[in-house]
Amino acid sequence: MSKQIPLLREGEMPYQPISLGSMEWNKTGSWRYLRPRFENKIPPCNEGCPAGQDIEGALVLIGKGKYLEAWDLFKEENPFPGVCGRVCYHPCESSCNRGDFDEPLSINALERFMADMASKHRRKPPLKKREKRPEKVAVIGSGPAGLTCAYHLVRLGYGVTVFEALPVLGGMLRVGIPEYRLPKKVLGQEIDQILELGVKVEVNARLGNGLSLEDLKEYQAVFLALGNHKSRSLGISGEEAEGIMSGVEFLKDVNLGKKVELGKRVAVIGGGNTAVDAARAALRLGAKPLILYRRTREEMPAFASEVHEAEEEGIEISLLTSPVKVISQNGRAAQLECVKNRLGPPDEDGRRRPVEIKGSNCTIEVDQVISAIGEEADLSCLSKQVGIRDNTVPTDERGATKQAGVFAGGDIILQPHTVVHAIASGKRAAIFIDSHLRKENWEGLFEALRVGEKGSLSMKRYLQEERERVPLSGKTVLLKDLNLDYFEYQKRLKMPKAKSSRRTTSFEEVNLGFNEETAVEEARRCFNCGVCNLCDNCYIFCPDVAIQKGKEGELNIFDYDHCKGCGICMEECPRDVIVMEVEGR
Amino acid sequence: MKKIMVGNHAVSWGVMLARAEVVSAYPITPQTTIVEELSVLCADGRLKARFIPVESEHSAMACCIGSSAAGVRTFTATSSQGLALMHEMLHWATGARLPIVMANVNRALGSPFNIWGEQSDSLAQRDTGWLQIYCESNQEVLDTVLQSFKIAERVLLPVMLVLDAFILSHTAEPVDIPDHQLADEFLPPYRPDLRLNSKDPHIFACLAPPEYLMEFRYKIQQSMLQSKEVCRRVDEEFGKAFGRKYGLVEPYRCEGADLILVTAGSVTSTARVAVDALREKGRKVGLAKLRLFRPFPKEELLEITRGADKIAVLDRNFSAGIGGIFAHEIRAAFCNEKSHPPVYSYITGLGGRDTTLQNLNEVIYQTYERPRPEEQSVWVGLRS
Amino acid sequence: MREGYESTELMYSGHLACAGCGATIAMRYALKALGDDTVIVLPACCWSIIGGPFPYAAVKVPLIHTAFETGASTASGVKAGLDMRGDTETTVAAWVGDGGTFDIGIQALSGAAERNDDIIYFCYDNEAYMNTGIQRSSATPWGTWTTTTPSNHPKGQPKKNMMEIMAAHRIPYAATCSVAFPEDMINKIKKAKSTRGTKFIHIFSPCPTGWKAPSSLAVKIARLAVHTKIFPLYEVEGGLRYHVNVNPKSLPVDEYLRLQGRFNHLSDEDIQKIQETVDREWERLLKKALDTI
Repeated sequence: MSKQIPLLREGEMPYQPISLGSMEWNKTGSWRYLRPRFENKIPPCNEGCPAGQDIEGALVLIGKGKYLEAWDLFKEENPFPGVCGRVCYHPCESSCNRGDFDEPLSINALERFMADMASKHRRKPPLKKREKRPEKVAVIGSGPAGLTCAYHLVRLGYGVTVFEALPVLGGMLRVGIPEYRLPKKVLGQEIDQILELGVKVEVNARLGNGLSLEDLKEYQAVFLALGNHKSRSLGISGEEAEGIMSGVEFLKDVNLGKKVELGKRVAVIGGGNTAVDAARAALRLGAKPLILYRRTREEMPAFASEVHEAEEEGIEISLLTSPVKVISQNGRAAQLECVKNRLGPPDEDGRRRPVEIKGSNCTIEVDQVISAIGEEADLSCLSKQVGIRDNTVPTDERGATKQAGVFAGGDIILQPHTVVHAIASGKRAAIFIDSHLRKENWEGLFEALRVGEKGSLSMKRYLQEERERVPLSGKTVLLKDLNLDYFEYQKRLKMPKAKSSRRTTSFEEVNLGFNEETAVEEARRCFNCGVCNLCDNCYIFCPDVAIQKGKEGELNIFDYDHCKGCGICMEECPRDVIVMEVEGR
Repeated sequence: MKKIMVGNHAVSWGVMLARAEVVSAYPITPQTTIVEELSVLCADGRLKARFIPVESEHSAMACCIGSSAAGVRTFTATSSQGLALMHEMLHWATGARLPIVMANVNRALGSPFNIWGEQSDSLAQRDTGWLQIYCESNQEVLDTVLQSFKIAERVLLPVMLVLDAFILSHTAEPVDIPDHQLADEFLPPYRPDLRLNSKDPHIFACLAPPEYLMEFRYKIQQSMLQSKEVCRRVDEEFGKAFGRKYGLVEPYRCEGADLILVTAGSVTSTARVAVDALREKGRKVGLAKLRLFRPFPKEELLEITRGADKIAVLDRNFSAGIGGIFAHEIRAAFCNEKSHPPVYSYITGLGGRDTTLQNLNEVIYQTYERPRPEEQSVWVGLRS
Repeated sequence: MREGYESTELMYSGHLACAGCGATIAMRYALKALGDDTVIVLPACCWSIIGGPFPYAAVKVPLIHTAFETGASTASGVKAGLDMRGDTETTVAAWVGDGGTFDIGIQALSGAAERNDDIIYFCYDNEAYMNTGIQRSSATPWGTWTTTTPSNHPKGQPKKNMMEIMAAHRIPYAATCSVAFPEDMINKIKKAKSTRGTKFIHIFSPCPTGWKAPSSLAVKIARLAVHTKIFPLYEVEGGLRYHVNVNPKSLPVDEYLRLQGRFNHLSDEDIQKIQETVDREWERLLKKALDTI
């Protein structure tokens, strides 16, 4: 920086007023009342993902063509990007700020793209791991919750054994979701990557049948992730007849490769994903399924895209229809008596209760009835100590049960029954099992690890060498915080699908996946809410040249000697990264 | 080479010999033919200069400041209203220490409009820091143009040379045109180091706050005082090169004079005739021609007039309330001297009215008659 | 780093502008576009102070301070002088405020334009005599508060259309720029630099101090001025061929007006009147642009 020139005498001055030096010595920073600072904030997609993925970070990498590094980033939090990229209900997309501007990012499709790329390149992620610890942990159930918990626990240094009742691993992912939505090969690869880390597995080991609670006493902690595999009964007369099976039974048989004789006319009762999956699987097996749902389309719990695809495939849905009686012939279901409903006042879960319309009964001919009105847990094998209530395992915010050292997650605890919530509960349990086994105070962990306000936690942060308990800079960025002058309308690129005519005759994947060009283009639509992406607006608009370019890939640098605190940088930052604070605080 | 030429053309030819590079001017009677002749000289290539036909005299001086700051020899010419319009920029040029040369054709300032000779316009600019040289003949005009550039470029102050409207500007006289090569030797090219130069960037004419302005003004004062010696030396050099020199104050038949007339401009020629006539009659009258006005050549004038009993100053100009400006300046210059002759002040020939021999005799007669000078200037030739 | 931005800075930090000054953003980008082989002629305006007093400079190019009304004439002189020295490459640019362009300096500008002197004349427009304390100029828009047009008697005359005046001189190139569109500004200045003759660049430079707006809004206000069609970005070649450079989003003028305290006193009728005038002028401009095609 130039020096101030001391007051010159007449003899030292040039004969006319010409400049002899620059103004840089003048530290106009002293004029300031407010001072700017870079502060990365929480993008709403990161907050919205229950698994706490750094979605924004991954999108930046995809946009630069670094798909494999993006996949590495996802694997830090979630071992199942290939699975989630196919079956997740993507709350991230509902949270995406771009959704209120034009259309949300196709994050789900991009997650799948990353996973497909990694698979193609046979990538092994460079995962952070800790030193080996003496303790052993048992995980009951190899569904998404159980396997995620095992994955993180083995990284935290523990000896982990997963006990699975079925002969195959994967829980509902393996036996509940049909091939055309989640190919076994994709699931298998991701499960293998977990096992490669050193997780031990015992299949055909059902708790209460071959595996006892006593056996578990040799483990210092237990994670219960049994899942909901019991189907609710219809509660109508005649349902004990043959030719009636539950949706989960049907899908399990199909997924395990068993031959199922359906006949032609298959009535599927229910409106959730299981019902729709069952109907679409039945279709592919040559049947002509009819879905009966007691409420309207809007209330169907199944993913809207699934319902839409089912309709594209020609599956009929009979809405506001409930079965009241099964009429058998020779002990086998032959007809289903149904009644039409209208919607009455709301239920305990807020949805309007269906009310039968008297005299609207009708009968349909059936060869097979599949009942898929909901799944529930079978917790009879668990000890009373765990403290079961309402057929769920109550847990605290850590996922810990009343019994010391016993944690629970997945569908058996009180949380939404989605794959990503199961994965999130597995990760959470791993973190708190670790803190429990280390006998550490876990009070500050939520604060330190949370990604926004919706309960997601960051494993990446947990594994950082310096376990600094600094909260991730608190604020989640909303659309109103962005400077929208810098964004233009750009169409969202959607997942391409196979033609419906093709789909109905095979179990091939319906969704075809993005190619590289599409993936990069879509990823670049990301606003990067709250995270600096080096757009340089601050550098460009500073009237005092008081922001300098940082090193390659690093943040710009404020020249506080000269910054007058005008705030133009804050205003022109498109993504709310700059905060202005009162000087001196 | 001798040519018959009007005073304005003498200016143009002087500028051509000086190889001015940028000329920026706006027409005003009686200056117009200076610029017209310069256009002709530029058009046929005898003068390789850029002529900028600006839209006002104020812009003309601004243009000159710009081009002089860029480091080239710059010239302009104007008169009365135009000079007054430029006033702000005259100060600017001085403060910026730019060696601009300007020819001013003395013309009365309106209102009311009057296009004829009067010295008030140039004298009204006496505080601007420009040097001022008053010429008596067309030859002197041409010679002074060359001298002015040399002086300006040495002291880095702008120079104004002054000639009377119509009596010099539009009257033809024989003028000896100096040889161009000799002129080049006398006045080499102007190539300053300090100028607007992207390879050595500076801010020029910076803002000067109170802690600095006085020192810059002081420097101007020092340069102005030193410039008197420079004027004298340049005149000597000119004399050696071309055989003509003029001095700062020229004494004419002042030996033993008891009354000395002081004049400036073309009226000096008439005064010479008056002095000769009176000397014939045995009167001891002398004449001091005031050539350099800024810086004021006090020592030279005092030297010439000390011996006389009386000085009679002829002003072809007027400042309301003060009267004749030359007389005013001389009185002020002499006031602290232990002894100096009393200064009698006369105003003649305003607005182009002729100053005749009769007027001059009247002046001399009145001076002899009055024991003491009137406090206010005496107006000669007034129809009262 | 976005494309089109030279990394060399020709303006120093430590200058004396108000926090949030639009005129400094304008100068920063003008200098980037012009490069270091430039001479700036600077008549009296805010930048006379911003540049710093003796013995300091806030710019890295040669610059000469000159009297208020002499921007164009001094620049003409500098250009002539440099040419006569054999330097025909150095760009000579006059950097003048709206007062020195629209009012006191219009004569010199008209003279230089008529002579088609080879200079780039920049007018950075903050719509009043800001340096002397926010007095009205003929660049002040209708209805504005200034210190000489108080709120109960705001400016009753419309803003002088300087671009039309320059177009009428049929100079080779004239363009409007805004500090919110730096890439556009750089492109136009580079285009001007490569054209011979008189070029006029009119830069919209918000003054938070004089417009009574928060210092952080200078760029936003400049952007809104373009998108409300109050200050459209366009070029005129040869005084006859019009091109509009940025398609405005046609936002209502109220979005621009309500950010600035100098418009606080406007009634709904006033705002309506302003909207009508802006729409009408925009239609006229569009028609000229369409006629060009």
